[in-house]
Amino acid sequence: MAETEKYDRADREILAAMGKPGRLYLLVLAFTVTLVASGFLCWYHQYRVGLGVAGYTHPVNWAVYITNFVFWVGIAHSGTLISAVLYLFRARFRTSFNRPAEAMTVFALMVAGLFPLIHLGRPWVFYYLFPYPNQRQLWVNFRSPLIWDVFAVGTYFTVSVVFFYVGLIPDLAIVRRCKEGIRKTIYSVLSLGWEGTRRQWRHYNMLYLFLAAFATPLVASVHSVVSWDFAMSILPGWHTTIFAPYFVAGAIFSGTAMVITLVVPMRKILVLDRYITDDHFESIAKILLFTSLIVSYAYVVETGLAWYGGNVFEIELFRYRAWGHYKALFWTMITCNSLVPLTLFARRLRRNIAYLFCVSLLVNVGMWVERFVIIVSSLARDFDPYVWDTQMYRPTFVEVGITLGSFGMFFTLYLIFLKTLPVLSITEIKEHL
Amino acid sequence: MKRRDFLRIVGVLTGSTLISSCGSGNGSKKFISSILPPEEGIIPGEAIFSPSTCTECPAGCGLSVTLREGWPIKLEGAPGHPVNDGGLCIRGQSSLTRLYHPKRIANPMLRNGGGKFQGISWEKAISLVSESLADSRGSGRKNLYLSGRTTGSLSALTGMVCRKLAVERLPEFEVYSHSAVKEANGLLFGQREVPHYRIENADFLLTVGADILETHISPVSCTRKLSRARGRGEIRWFHVEPHLSLTGANADKRFAVLPGREAVLLSYMLRHILDRGPRRPGLPPEVANALQRLSAESASEGTGIPVGGLQEIRDAIANARRPLVIAGGVSTAHPEGLEVAAMAGMIQWVTGEIPGLVDFARGENYGGVGTFRDMEDLSGRLGKGEVGVLFLSRTNPVFSLPKAYSFRENLGKAKLSVGMGDLLDETMQEANLVLPLSHSLESWGDAEPRRGVVSLVKPVLNPLHDTLSEGDILLRLMGKGSGEGSPTGYREYLFDAWGRKYGKKGRDEFLKRGYVEESFPAKRVFLDGRKAASLLEGMKSSAGELGRPVLVLAPSLRTYDGRGRGLPLLSEIPDPLTTISYGRFLSVSPGTAKESGLKDREEVTVSSADWSEVLPVKVQPGLQDGVYQVFRDFVASPPLRTEKRTGGAVEYIDGARLVKSGKMAAVPILSGSSSQQGRGLIPDPAHKGEKHHHGRVSLYPEHGHEEYRWAMVIDLALCNGCSACVAACHIENNVPVVGKKDHLKGREMSWLRIEPFYGDAGDVEFLPMLCQHCHAAPCETVCPVYAAYHNPEGLNVQVYNRCVGTRYCSNNCPYKVRRFNWFWHRWEKPLNRMQNPDLETRGVGVMEKCTFCIQRIRAAKDRGKDEGRKVRDGEVTTACAQSCPTGAIVFGNLLDADSRVSRLAGSDRAYRVFEALGTDPSVYYLHGKTRGSGS
Amino acid sequence: MAKPMIFHEKEEFLKTLRRLVREGVAKERIRVITPFSVAEVEEILPRMPSHVQVFALAGAASGTVGGFAFTILSTLSWPLIVGGKPIVSIPPFIIIAFALTILFGALSTFLGFLLLSRLPSIRRIRSVEEYGNAFVITVEPEEAK
Repeated sequence: MAETEKYDRADREILAAMGKPGRLYLLVLAFTVTLVASGFLCWYHQYRVGLGVAGYTHPVNWAVYITNFVFWVGIAHSGTLISAVLYLFRARFRTSFNRPAEAMTVFALMVAGLFPLIHLGRPWVFYYLFPYPNQRQLWVNFRSPLIWDVFAVGTYFTVSVVFFYVGLIPDLAIVRRCKEGIRKTIYSVLSLGWEGTRRQWRHYNMLYLFLAAFATPLVASVHSVVSWDFAMSILPGWHTTIFAPYFVAGAIFSGTAMVITLVVPMRKILVLDRYITDDHFESIAKILLFTSLIVSYAYVVETGLAWYGGNVFEIELFRYRAWGHYKALFWTMITCNSLVPLTLFARRLRRNIAYLFCVSLLVNVGMWVERFVIIVSSLARDFDPYVWDTQMYRPTFVEVGITLGSFGMFFTLYLIFLKTLPVLSITEIKEHL
Repeated sequence: MKRRDFLRIVGVLTGSTLISSCGSGNGSKKFISSILPPEEGIIPGEAIFSPSTCTECPAGCGLSVTLREGWPIKLEGAPGHPVNDGGLCIRGQSSLTRLYHPKRIANPMLRNGGGKFQGISWEKAISLVSESLADSRGSGRKNLYLSGRTTGSLSALTGMVCRKLAVERLPEFEVYSHSAVKEANGLLFGQREVPHYRIENADFLLTVGADILETHISPVSCTRKLSRARGRGEIRWFHVEPHLSLTGANADKRFAVLPGREAVLLSYMLRHILDRGPRRPGLPPEVANALQRLSAESASEGTGIPVGGLQEIRDAIANARRPLVIAGGVSTAHPEGLEVAAMAGMIQWVTGEIPGLVDFARGENYGGVGTFRDMEDLSGRLGKGEVGVLFLSRTNPVFSLPKAYSFRENLGKAKLSVGMGDLLDETMQEANLVLPLSHSLESWGDAEPRRGVVSLVKPVLNPLHDTLSEGDILLRLMGKGSGEGSPTGYREYLFDAWGRKYGKKGRDEFLKRGYVEESFPAKRVFLDGRKAASLLEGMKSSAGELGRPVLVLAPSLRTYDGRGRGLPLLSEIPDPLTTISYGRFLSVSPGTAKESGLKDREEVTVSSADWSEVLPVKVQPGLQDGVYQVFRDFVASPPLRTEKRTGGAVEYIDGARLVKSGKMAAVPILSGSSSQQGRGLIPDPAHKGEKHHHGRVSLYPEHGHEEYRWAMVIDLALCNGCSACVAACHIENNVPVVGKKDHLKGREMSWLRIEPFYGDAGDVEFLPMLCQHCHAAPCETVCPVYAAYHNPEGLNVQVYNRCVGTRYCSNNCPYKVRRFNWFWHRWEKPLNRMQNPDLETRGVGVMEKCTFCIQRIRAAKDRGKDEGRKVRDGEVTTACAQSCPTGAIVFGNLLDADSRVSRLAGSDRAYRVFEALGTDPSVYYLHGKTRGSGS
Repeated sequence: MAKPMIFHEKEEFLKTLRRLVREGVAKERIRVITPFSVAEVEEILPRMPSHVQVFALAGAASGTVGGFAFTILSTLSWPLIVGGKPIVSIPPFIIIAFALTILFGALSTFLGFLLLSRLPSIRRIRSVEEYGNAFVITVEPEEAK
């Protein structure tokens, strides 16, 4: 058929997702919104009464909320990897995951950004954390890893939003073409009057290249900075230089798994098989496997160093992690993160989409549990034996509610995204059709 | 006139009009204008100090009450006081919470027809009592007066009033009445009294059961003297007991004796002393012959102490120039308790230490205290309906008396039972009429804790509620009874009595200083050989064995005999040996736990012949098999029997059986591990010579300090875990009491905690852990908002209003001394009056921790600035250091080369915890038991 | 206004474009609209590289300098000792400067793009000519004069 007809068909098929929402969609949306509402109520209860309603003990001062924070920031990294890093490597297969991955990044960062506020003892003075000239004559402590977080995650969020938006501009022009009335006006404004002239494409390409170039170091640096929340402390099990690469690999690992979790049902429900093929999934699965191997390597190195180093505190901590109160979680983590992904060495399993979906769910669970185990076990058993926790940390309904609320918020945003923005990067797909 | 003069006059007129219209009528309760001249010496912002006496237990330690704007906010031991010389124990510090207790009885109450209490006025109450007294006299019933131990003027007044009103004054009731010791001393020396022990002059001390660090007679006094002597390396101290007490845990050597078999040990010792040749007086031959001759092996078998141990004790007594044996506590509260006390007395006699170390002239004033048998008689009389009006003042027999006495049931048979106290305890709840007593800080009085020492009780504020002191009540009753019209107040009575006793000048001295100490000549006593011999004869044939396994009811450091139960602060601070804060528990030995498969917190039903109780278990290292242990106040109306000869209660329950209930109880055990796990928090003495744990060489330049560098030295050899410092810190720094629920999550709030670490042999060392004020503090770098930073004087300061509550600082602290406010803490009125106005109470979401009492440092610096000088060594001290009865904590300026801190920190015993982490702490600990110079 | 030539095949469009260039039509007169970025167009009508990169460089540099200046000056103004670290602690400041480099670089590049592409264009937002997925060449008429 004529080329433009191919492109028209691509437009139609991909934009079909933005049609009127069906029953299933509304049901799922209602469910996620309920989760958000209940999460909000839990948070409000905590805001009024104090952090004591959460399960924190002394010495475990950080638990579920920081786990969620690291989890969501980690998930965001995979999106940037796919959009920016793979762009620089000119990986063709990235185009089919590009948009959903970037959306995932932006929404994951929005959810992640809430958790530093949720876990504050006095959230009403959260603005103390931002450096701006004020009458209190105080600046923030730039040596603190939490402030590095503010800058790194803030930068990452801003750059991701810009990157996401920039990638959307040509696609928004396509949507503008297909809509009428008030919707047409909105998309016209959002697409800035994009035409696709040569000059625009020239500057656009340069912009995209630079944004990708700027975003690429962020993939490595932001989660390194988040990992330094732990590595800059002195606690055994936290204070180790391997954390930066370990966490970055872990972030990409969990983010890739989340991409698979999102894209597999999306492909099925929105019938996008033509554009997202099994080959694409196989490439993503290879990333999953590769990062899983790095994470497993990090587990081995950490434990090995503790044993080899002879440091009394480290040895006891790693023994505690594997055989102490949290052993069930620890071995879940090993199974889900290190053992199950090994099966992806088999080509047949890599191309089995249903299997890939299950693996991705297990990896999501495993990575959440990994952060929890790292955070809580190191806190529960550190230097002074008097302070050791005598029983396992028990999250209360407030923490569970807020965690579920965060998942609810992420999926709500994603569902809204499906209906309001082009779900795949149409322009880039057309380039390679 | 000139314009300036006009304005000046107008200004003054306006100002004075405004000022005088400020409400200042009832000045001490409302805003005090700083422009008005000070009323009664109250200057806002400045503390005044007033002497008084602590009444939490019979020891009668002297107090210095800190007053701010007319409210007492802190109690300290009075320096120089003959009893405590500046130290104050955990109960004494908590006495302030009794004054401000929200549940204090606010007015007299009468039980109405429906059985509920109704408030009535004092006039009505006094009239009612007066009428009832008259009625009883008319109907042939007896009126009785029962109180806790009473000394000094109140005792004299009580005697006089009782005589005037024809009320029979009963022997006073104390759970710890030392009846065996009194009986023994009465038999042997004709002195039915507890003598004063001059521990400070002894060079070897053997305590048999006497918990001198916790409750025995005058614990702060004993602690102070003992620590001074130990600090100078002048005394060795062995302790013998069947269970495990805090006292035993701190002795140089502790020997676990089979329950009830202490007499065998003492008789072996006595025999040995005699064999080696008697000292001055010697024993009469009939006594020496009546004394059993035991071989080391049979003594070992009889007492359960290994032969080597017996030899050690034997040699120690023999080689000591001035040995002292003190028997008491649970070791004299069993069927052979009289023998134990008598043996101790005989050893004291034979070693020639009466009247040297054992001073009957300055007896501890327990002569008026009766025995459990006296209470049994009382219960009998009540039961027979012989009693008209029964006064019960400052005593809780319903709770403390053995079940068999049926005191509670019989109490109901009195015509009118009048309870006098401050909180509604078990006895007060059973009384018909409740007369609330003022706290000692609200009333005038005096106490005579031992003969020759009179300590002033001076009020520092008007009674918070509608209460009266006991003296006032007695005087009103007397006035009513004799129809003399309005009675004199107790204050007038006292001033009159003191004036007569000391003269006007002496009385003023007394009022200013807070105590008077008289000296008398020593009292010579003589041993009654016949009685001693017959006692020894009886010992051979008495069975007296306690059926094992046995449950020991031990005195409690925190509640004494249970009277401290109502004070939340005393439950908030954990028991130092077990680190259990709220709730009851049963201590079992590790052997028992292993055998029965018991774990900490597991519930068991402990039962004897006719009694059972469900308690959670705590495994106590160092406790011997076959002995279980609870604190006395864990069992209400315990199934105890009365020992016939002494009249005391046998504080043991025989044949106690444990049955697992299979459930786990929610018990807050605050310690995560009783072992140091090889981490060298308290270095192993074997490593003493090695100095390999320096701090690391820093990459960064050292930051200097100009004038002051505050540091603290804690001597672990002196610290005995009594937790007085913890209580002092709580009250000084407005640290909230958080309650059991938070403790179950390990969220204790104390800025300072006592960490007990057990060795393999069951020996325990206490490590007071507080903010180390590190110079390279890991907590400061990670705070995102500079709420924690290092001030130029070396303190790690916490800025509460800057803290956003990320809690990273607590994560990064290797000592985990930072405390987070998880909830809003409300101070129930009137406890809010206890708050120190020099520092804020922290809201929710804010991190707090020890500040080295920065408010005191600042006050001292201000004073210094006013006088144009620097702060001198010893001028400023932290609350913990000030209260410590042993003087283990020393605080000062490290930059001052002459300060105590500098000298101690430089000693070869000094080390810092986790030095290898490179935190460079400011708190130095002195380890090792070797005593040297530098105290 | 010149009439646009609409193509539905990419190859046809490219052939025409090459022909126009060969015929000597001035490059400034040729306006091209494509549904996606066609790399060959750049080869046929080469131009100087986009000046967006200048904005990128300027933004990144200002981020670095600003980051260091900001942190160093604020710690020197309020010299609080934390953890015994020097007042001017370069390693943590590097991280701040790095983050600001990326942030300012990205924002500045985006701004540069908007400026250089003359977007948002109010006129086009209100009404734009939609060519769909077609490739369009428009040759501007020669200027009279």
